[in-house]
Amino acid sequence: MTPEVEGYGCTVDELMVVAFSRAMDNDTRAFNGAVSFIPVCGYLLARRTHAPNLVWAASSIAIDANPPAIPESTLSDALWDGASMLATSSYDFWSYASGARYNTFAFRGAQMDARGNVNNTVIGPYETPKVRLPGGGGMADLGSMIPKIYLWNTTHNPRTFVEQLDFRSGIGWGDGGDHREWLGLPGGPQLCITNLCVFDFHPESRRMRVSSLHPGVTIGEVQESTGFEVLVPDGEIPTTGRPTEEELRILREEVDPTSARLREF
Amino acid sequence: MDKRVSIEQAVGSIPDGATVALGGLSMNSAPMAYVREIVRQEKRDLTVVAIVAGMSVDWLIAGGCVKKVVSGLVSFEGLGLAPTFRMGVQSGAVEIEEYSEDLLICRLRAQAWNLPFVPTKAGLGTDLIPLHEQTGTIRAEVDPATGEHYVACTRLPVDVALVHAHSADELGNVRVDPKLIWMDNEIVNAAERTFASVERYVGHADVVAEPHRTTYPQFMVSGVSLAEFGAYPSSCFPEYSHHTEFFQAYSAAASDPEEFATFFASRVAGPETWVDFIQSSGGEEMVASLRRSSA
Repeated sequence: MTPEVEGYGCTVDELMVVAFSRAMDNDTRAFNGAVSFIPVCGYLLARRTHAPNLVWAASSIAIDANPPAIPESTLSDALWDGASMLATSSYDFWSYASGARYNTFAFRGAQMDARGNVNNTVIGPYETPKVRLPGGGGMADLGSMIPKIYLWNTTHNPRTFVEQLDFRSGIGWGDGGDHREWLGLPGGPQLCITNLCVFDFHPESRRMRVSSLHPGVTIGEVQESTGFEVLVPDGEIPTTGRPTEEELRILREEVDPTSARLREF
Repeated sequence: MDKRVSIEQAVGSIPDGATVALGGLSMNSAPMAYVREIVRQEKRDLTVVAIVAGMSVDWLIAGGCVKKVVSGLVSFEGLGLAPTFRMGVQSGAVEIEEYSEDLLICRLRAQAWNLPFVPTKAGLGTDLIPLHEQTGTIRAEVDPATGEHYVACTRLPVDVALVHAHSADELGNVRVDPKLIWMDNEIVNAAERTFASVERYVGHADVVAEPHRTTYPQFMVSGVSLAEFGAYPSSCFPEYSHHTEFFQAYSAAASDPEEFATFFASRVAGPETWVDFIQSSGGEEMVASLRRSSA
């Protein structure tokens, strides 16, 4: 089990899903990659609550899927039930992605830096790695193509949130400032949702800034758990919004009745 | 021309040192019958191109067949890291030339379309660009006419593509049916030769009766091989699922080198034919447990 959220009657995985869901809207056209339980739950929850027109391509293939439960893999065809189309051609997928017809994507990395760039390639030097990770897969593509990028991480600690990535597999805000714009890339990372807090990005430096703290978490804890200097907003830092009974019921009973999302913890 | 060949014959035509592209995506539709036979025939020094791979690449590395992996991602997804791939790269036994999915697709398209490069915005601002300064296979450039940044993806020559499909006729017309081809068309279109393992043969008259169901035309296909359950332990949509227990047993064995050597020799490389392999992996009972629909 993941920790209870103080006073909220839910656990931290549920709080993360709800925070993710609330960031989505009716114009969201999303798809998902491997091991993406939090975003998948978030898309499905948003569609059943405030964003009924949200488009989601399960595993990047099954458009408008409506699975009865979430299987052990978020690329599994068991996620595709109820789809109105299987987009089975790589030509179509990359057209929708490159042209930003799909406008929302979420990724996480073994390492993430202050500007939302991610590493899923190596720990240590590329040629002589201490740990060879799976590889960036589509991160380098989708980080560059998709305007609304959401980051999440269930293990907020200084080994994950680092000042300097060992390898930049996928671009977030790049070197910060107007780097993405200079490269001609649309949008950029919007939020990073962790087990401790939600970050947004400072509009100029494009560094992570605490947007809200989960109940019971202090700014000191977040800073101690983060390998780079965390920016804080002016004034009091908000607390991450409390999930409604209805959101929790839909998540628990309809979206993810087998708690597949706990595979990420 | 009858293009039906055995798994053994198809693999027998692949020379050591060849560049072999593997179809499938992650836990799905990998040409595992061909892959296992490559291990059995002890091919060496292969360059393996696999856009998003898992068990296929891991078997080839475990079999000592691989010099270099050209890929975007090799993993067992939620079931963990691909253990032999990880160890092979960490020890320096195997070289990894990493790209992203779209950078590889664009390289394959440059090859297929006979172009010096295909442009994309994929990879801009990532470390894949400096990584490939040496290989020269992808280059960050600026279009002089518009000032737009792009990545030029050069040709990726492929000697042999291996894919798994649902059926084929004797002439080599191949059906991925339903047409869920992942990115297999990209490797088929780029490769000098393609072999497709299939769940079953159909007659040419059936293909002519429903030509819209053909995925790869015979002139693009060098040979087709019968391999029932040929993607196992990966899935073949919609007919059967991947086999979680095999992935778990494989990963568990990999925690100890000796145990893994025994596991790999007996469970993977040992059985003489593909039919024997499926039999020894649990046979009809296992097949029935993974089967989701029949053709």
